[in-house]
Amino acid sequence: MTSPILRIEDVHKSYGSLHVLKGVSLTVQPREVVVLVGPSGSGKSTLLRCINLLNPPTKGRIWLEDQEITAPGVNQDRVRQRIGMVFQEFNLFTHLTALGNVMIGLIKVRKMRKNEARDLAMFELERVGLADRAHYYPAQLSGGQKQRVAIARALGMDPHVMLFDEPTSALDPELTGEVLAVMQKLAGEGMTMIVVSHEMGFARQVANRVVFMEGGVVVEEGTPQHMFEQPTHERTRAFLRNIMQ
Amino acid sequence: MMGLFQDLLTTFNFIVQGLWVTISVTAVALTVGFTIGVVMAIARVYGHPALQTAVSAYSVVIRAVPVIVIIFILFFVISRYVNLSPFWAGALALGFASGAYQTEIFRGAIQAVQSGQMIAARAIGMSRLQAIQSIVLPQALRLALPAWGNEATLVLKDSTLVFAVGVPEILRRAQQVSARTFEPFLAFGVALLLYLALTLITTQALQWIERRYRLQV
Repeated sequence: MTSPILRIEDVHKSYGSLHVLKGVSLTVQPREVVVLVGPSGSGKSTLLRCINLLNPPTKGRIWLEDQEITAPGVNQDRVRQRIGMVFQEFNLFTHLTALGNVMIGLIKVRKMRKNEARDLAMFELERVGLADRAHYYPAQLSGGQKQRVAIARALGMDPHVMLFDEPTSALDPELTGEVLAVMQKLAGEGMTMIVVSHEMGFARQVANRVVFMEGGVVVEEGTPQHMFEQPTHERTRAFLRNIMQ
Repeated sequence: MMGLFQDLLTTFNFIVQGLWVTISVTAVALTVGFTIGVVMAIARVYGHPALQTAVSAYSVVIRAVPVIVIIFILFFVISRYVNLSPFWAGALALGFASGAYQTEIFRGAIQAVQSGQMIAARAIGMSRLQAIQSIVLPQALRLALPAWGNEATLVLKDSTLVFAVGVPEILRRAQQVSARTFEPFLAFGVALLLYLALTLITTQALQWIERRYRLQV
């Protein structure tokens, strides 16, 4: 048994009086693909933002590899560099080309020289199948292409874990396939991934584990087979039945 | 006819020497105003609440005072303690005044940059300052260009105010010629044409920059 890459222990998150996460614990092994499902407002996205400290938890602890990242005095920028994140709305930098989007982190954060950064950025764009769009601006790309550039941008930082926050929810149905294919390829290469998604086909095929959240807690988790075919909890069953229709 | 042409040429030659002064005053004022504007806008949006209040106060007070008053304060009051030539007193005063307006321009532009841009920048490990520098500001400056261009032409025209402390810019020289030759029409006509040309060139240049750097959304 290898040591976990990510360990989340009793994480709480409140915004004022709004208690979004009410004690979530989750352990992720290296190379594992975990799909988080649950109704909207259940705290899935909040959990992702707690993990990369964009919105640090109000209570609880998180370890990334053997470092407690919720400990006081931790360099949060360094932590975020090791945790890639892909957003529902892509959030590509609008003033930069696809290549520029991938390069900027390499230059500013990884302190690479421009030539080096360009080569690596091209390599990452090739990985997501967009080398031929390197010099396009975000506005000139389709939604699916934008999301693939966003994935390349995250990969450029050489993350140890990738978080996906509903990566296909803002896409037209015919464009989700290309993004899911890239994600599947990444999973095949051994990337550790936590994915918030309603793509049950993806969960079934790619996930090692499906975690069902509701009301700020983990209700049930298990293999896709267990979760889709014989979930223990009635709430899990009801939710999945609903979403499959 | 020949005489009129001669007069025009002499008048023009005298006044046009003020062109460079007008351009310099405007350039200094815009540069000072730009620096103040960008720094204060960042402080206003991202700074500590106390800093935000201080910036708001600066902006409110400066905008409430006529520019000519600021020029006089610098020239008659401050220059007793710091060695300031009329040129620098005037140009700096215009810069401080413009800085207040530019603060508002850049504040609005920074706030118009989508919040996801900052979040995405932080997510790849940029510090707040790096994200502001490399992601937010480049977009905000582009968004600010139309309003900034307008401010630039206003400062160009306000540069005539330094005339009051004796800086030999276009208007000052026009007034001198007019007093000497008793031909106000010719003198101020030339001044008018010079300002018109300056403003037109400035707006054209800014429009070109705007087109060149337009954000595609």
